[in-house]
Amino acid sequence: MQSLYEIETVVKRSARAKGLSWGMAEEIAKAVRILEQSLLPGLESFKRLVDLGLTSFNPIQNPLNDEKITKICPIHFGVFFLDNLHNKQFQKQFSFLEIYEPLLILPFLKRSANKNLLNIKFASKEINFNLSPGEIVSLSNQLFPHIATKITLDFSTSRSPQYSQSTWDELYELSLETFVEETEEKKLSGAGAGLTDND
Amino acid sequence: MKINIRKPEFVMKLDRLGSFHQSKLSFLRSFIREFKEWEFKCHEFELDDQGFGYAVYVVRKDKKDYSLVCFSNHLEDSERSDRVIATKWDASFVLFDGIPNSDDIVRLQANVPLQEQGRVSEKELCLSRANKSVRIFQHVVDNLAQGLQPDTKLLYDVGYLYRTTAVYGSGKFGLADRIKVQDRNELKGPFRLEMMLVYLARQFTFDQVNHIAHQRSPSTAIKLSDDIARNLGIGNSTGLGMAPFIVNHPALLNQWILAKEKSLQAIRSIEVVNISEYEKFNEYLKIIQENILFWKTNSSYQINKNENLIKDLKKFQVYISNIQLSKYFWNTVYNWVEENTEAECCELAVSLMMEIYPLIVEPFSYEMSIDEEIYFEIDASRSIADICQLIEKQYQWLLDVNFDEKENIFNFWYYSKNKQEPRMSDRFSEEGAELELPLAIARDVHALYRELKTENPNEDLATYLLKTQQYRHILRRIFICEKLPYSEIQDNTISKKLIPVDMLRLKLSFFGATRFDPRSDRWVRITMYQGAPLMKEIGKSNDTWSYKKIA
Repeated sequence: MQSLYEIETVVKRSARAKGLSWGMAEEIAKAVRILEQSLLPGLESFKRLVDLGLTSFNPIQNPLNDEKITKICPIHFGVFFLDNLHNKQFQKQFSFLEIYEPLLILPFLKRSANKNLLNIKFASKEINFNLSPGEIVSLSNQLFPHIATKITLDFSTSRSPQYSQSTWDELYELSLETFVEETEEKKLSGAGAGLTDND
Repeated sequence: MKINIRKPEFVMKLDRLGSFHQSKLSFLRSFIREFKEWEFKCHEFELDDQGFGYAVYVVRKDKKDYSLVCFSNHLEDSERSDRVIATKWDASFVLFDGIPNSDDIVRLQANVPLQEQGRVSEKELCLSRANKSVRIFQHVVDNLAQGLQPDTKLLYDVGYLYRTTAVYGSGKFGLADRIKVQDRNELKGPFRLEMMLVYLARQFTFDQVNHIAHQRSPSTAIKLSDDIARNLGIGNSTGLGMAPFIVNHPALLNQWILAKEKSLQAIRSIEVVNISEYEKFNEYLKIIQENILFWKTNSSYQINKNENLIKDLKKFQVYISNIQLSKYFWNTVYNWVEENTEAECCELAVSLMMEIYPLIVEPFSYEMSIDEEIYFEIDASRSIADICQLIEKQYQWLLDVNFDEKENIFNFWYYSKNKQEPRMSDRFSEEGAELELPLAIARDVHALYRELKTENPNEDLATYLLKTQQYRHILRRIFICEKLPYSEIQDNTISKKLIPVDMLRLKLSFFGATRFDPRSDRWVRITMYQGAPLMKEIGKSNDTWSYKKIA
C-alpha cells in the first residue's frame, strides 16, 4: 500500500503532467489525499478523470450562468467554490446539469464550509450529501433510521488502499512525465561524485 | 531597552543562511535532550565474524519502544559509492515503530538493503544506508585486534567510521506518514526520528568494529576506547536533493529561523550578564578555535570561508578579552561582531551565545514544528491592491531584478528521471526546462506582480483566479509569508550566481551538522554527533558536548 505522502506526490505530478498549473495540481493532490485518508476512493476517481483528459472538461466561470454546461470538471468546480464562497452573491442555490467524479468535489466543499461557516447540501439524482463546518459529514440525514439493529463497529489504525494496483502503476508512470532525463555530465556531478568512495 | 529581532531582509539572504552553525536548537541536540531519560540497549546482535548480519537496537520508555534494525552486507570496493544512484551499501538501516518480530526481520531483510528499490510498510518510520570509510574502518579493526587503540590523528581527520548517503522519512517508499506519529510528545521537534536513526546507527558502527576485531583475534583484541568513540560521529554526503526542501516547506523554515532569532533577541535583551556567563562564553570561544582545525576540506570556497572565520575569531577573541561587562553586554558584543566580522563568524558567535543560556534557548526548540496544512488556504477575498501591497512589502528585494536577463534565470530545477531526485541545470544549454519545478520563486513572484498591476486593483483575487491559475502556488506562498515572515529565502534560486551548498548548509546546520566539506558547489560532506555522548552515557548528557575539545 502507498503512503498518503506517495499518493499526494504522484497525484500532484500527474495533474501537472496533464496540463494543470502547479497550484491547481497541489489542490487536487491535497483533495485525493484527504479522500484516501477518509477511506474514499479518490485515486480511482482521479484516474478516471485523467483517462478522460483532465483539460477536456469544462470549468465553471460563473455558476449564475452555467446551469446548462455539461461535463463540468470537479477540480475547477471545487476550486471555484473554494475561492468564491466568501462572496455573498454565491451563497444561494445553484443547479447544474452534470459533474464528473463528484467524489472529488467533497474535500473542496468541506474546506469551503469550514472556511466560510456554511452549511452545504448537495443533491443529485445519484447521490446526496450534506456538509457543515462541523466534523461530521453525512451522506444524507434522511438515511438515518430511528433504530439500528445487528450492529458491528470496527476500530482500526490501519488504512486500506481504495484503488487497484494497476491504477497506481498507471498514475505513477504518468507522474514520471514531469521528470527530466539527466545528461551524462549531470549524472557525474551529484552527491558523492568525483572521488573514490573507498576513502 | 527594547532590542529588536533581526529582520527577515537581513537574515534570509543566502550568504547569511549559508553561514549558520549548529546550536542548542539543532535537531540532533534536541533529540538527545528529549530522549536522555529513555533506555537505550542493544536488543539483538547477529553478526558473523566478518561483521555481516543484522542487529537491533531498542529505545524504550514506559511501554513505548522504537527499534533500529541494522543490516550489514559484504560490498566489493568497486560497488561502493556515495552517489544517490548507488544500489548497494555496506549497511542499511530502518527505524521500526515498536520491536520487530522474526517475521518483520525477514521482511525487512528482503527490502531494507534494497532501499529505494524495496518496499517498507507503515510499521517503519525512517530508512537509511551508509558506507564505510574503508581506510578508517580497517585501521581501527586492525589496531583493536592487535590490542592497540587506533591513531587518533588519522581518525579525527575523517571524524567517522561510516557515512550515510540518505535518510528518508515521512511516507517515502511506503514508510509511515508523519500523521501517524505527529501527536506523540517525544516527537514534537523536527526530524526527531531521523536523528534517532542516525544516533543509533553511530552506535552500531562502534559495536561492529569491536565485534570484528574480537572475532579476528579473541585473545588480543580490545574495545575502542570510549574517549575515542565519543569523538567520532557519523558522516553524511548530501546533494541537491536537500535544497528544495527549504523552499517547499516555507512554514517550517519560518519556525526554525524564528526560534533562532527569538533566542538571539532574548539574549541581547539580558540587562545584566554575570562573570561566569562571560567566562563560559570565552571558554567555548577558545575551544571552537581549536576544533575548527579539524574541519578539513578541499573546497576553495569553504577553505576561504574557514580561513576568514579563523581570522575573524582571533579578532573577536581580542575584542572580547578587552571589553568590560556592562549593561546589555551581549547586545554590545553582537553589534560589534555584526559590524566587524563576516557572516560566518557572526553566526558562530550567535550559536556560542545561545550555548550559555539553555533556559532561554531550549524552550524555543519546542516551537520548531508547525502544522503546514493550516497555511494551505488562499484567501481569495483579498483585493488585487492588497496582494500588490503584500508583494511590495515582503518581496521588495526582487522587484528591481531584471528577469529578462539571462543570468537571472540561468538555472532551472527539475526531478531527474533516472533517480527521482531534484537537480539543477542551465536552461540555455540543457533540455527539460519546460518541466521546471515550481522553485523559481523570485521570478514567479515578479511575474505575478507585473500581471496584477494590469488588473483592476479593487477586484478580489477570486476574479483574477477565474482568468488564470498559473500563479496559484505563488499566491499560497505570499499568504504564508504575510503570516510567517521568515518563510522565504530572499535570494534568486535560479540565478547564475546561486551557490546551492548555501541552501544545504542552512538545513544541515539546523540538523546539527559540523565540519562542512563541500566537494563541489552541489554537494557536501558533513559530520553528525561528533563528540556526542555514547549510547550508554546518554542519560548523563547535559548538552555541553558540542563544545568539548576534540582529542
